[in-house]
Amino acid sequence: MIFQKPAVKQSDFSISAHPEEPGAIRDEVETVVGPSVNVEGDFGSEGNIVVKGTVSGSVRTSKHLFVEMGAKIMANVKAGTSKVSGEVKGNIKVKDTLELTATARVLGDIDAKILIIEAGAIVSGRVSMPGLEGVDAKAAPRLARLGARRLSEEAPAVTL
Amino acid sequence: MYVYIYDNWLRAKKFASTVKAMEIRLTDFGIAGKIVRLQNYTDAKALIDDEVRRGAKTIVVVGNDKTFGQILSGAATAGCIFGFLPVGGDNTIAEVLGIPIGADACTVLSRRRIEKLDIGWVNNRYFVSQLKAGPGQLEVFYDERFRVTGQNLLEVVVCNLQPWFWKRNSQDRNFEVVHPQDGKLEAWLRPLTRKRFWGYSYEDPSIFPFSEMEIKSQEPFTVEADGKITKEIRIKIKLAPERVNMIVGRDRKF
Repeated sequence: MIFQKPAVKQSDFSISAHPEEPGAIRDEVETVVGPSVNVEGDFGSEGNIVVKGTVSGSVRTSKHLFVEMGAKIMANVKAGTSKVSGEVKGNIKVKDTLELTATARVLGDIDAKILIIEAGAIVSGRVSMPGLEGVDAKAAPRLARLGARRLSEEAPAVTL
Repeated sequence: MYVYIYDNWLRAKKFASTVKAMEIRLTDFGIAGKIVRLQNYTDAKALIDDEVRRGAKTIVVVGNDKTFGQILSGAATAGCIFGFLPVGGDNTIAEVLGIPIGADACTVLSRRRIEKLDIGWVNNRYFVSQLKAGPGQLEVFYDERFRVTGQNLLEVVVCNLQPWFWKRNSQDRNFEVVHPQDGKLEAWLRPLTRKRFWGYSYEDPSIFPFSEMEIKSQEPFTVEADGKITKEIRIKIKLAPERVNMIVGRDRKF
């Protein structure tokens, strides 16, 4: 038995979007951009995308997009759901949930239904979420100023 | 009518008992037929076209992955049903097709569970098992939409029916099963980065499902498809969907 060749492990291999779940979503992961690989152009997929390398152009998927730590996307991104741990330079448009982890760096506008930002994530850009369509964009700052004045009138002045 | 194509190495004494057991089993099932032996310079396409013209309905390949690739890459469009009886080692395709190795494969053959399989098309010929290009300074264009390049060298493996074995390190051996029925081919790109002093080391692979792909390079690179090695500077790989009628087993991996 000592000299026996190691048997082929059938369930050993997995390319998992989340390292803590080995092999859990292997069937769902379809496209993987590995480290030290550059992708240029209109990069789209029908399934899940895991980015570990560099992508420039545009990224599009109807399912999950996972940008790993160390990955760089210099493109506009459209996805069903997304989790970003790397760097994105471009606008992100997500249909459902966008999660930015502590290592995420986003330079661009964000459009998402649900946005989760972990402490430490860096965002530079405009954030828009559906649900505020009734509020007039021009009236919003004026309303805020009015509210602040009313609050200062109501609150007693405190002098030290 | 069944025609059985035996690979030349099945004449060896160590396979005599397996081949005999298979022939007995086939006779028992009433599906025995004409036996043709492959020689070194046999043209599989001409041979199968000839047999189909004579009335053969099912062509059964007897051998291993290499035999399977050699015959199907030439005669994938012969318009007949293909069967496979795997014998001996190097039989990874049989596992994907759900066909047991040895005489038990005759049972699968007799059940005639037929599936249409996708095959690959590269520079005017078919490939059924696997294609490997490089390593080299390759540029890969997917579906004419995006371009993939590596920092150093790049190796591309396109898997169709044959699973691709690769190692993370010298101790490890990982195994990936590719589904031939998903309507797309899967390309594995492995970049090679220069080691500190000499040589190259493989990095984690990238996986891209595709239906059309073009690989270009300034210098000629090696292309190995179904065991046939050529040097090319530009190859175009396409998917030919549902091109082969194949008898498969119940335990197939797709």
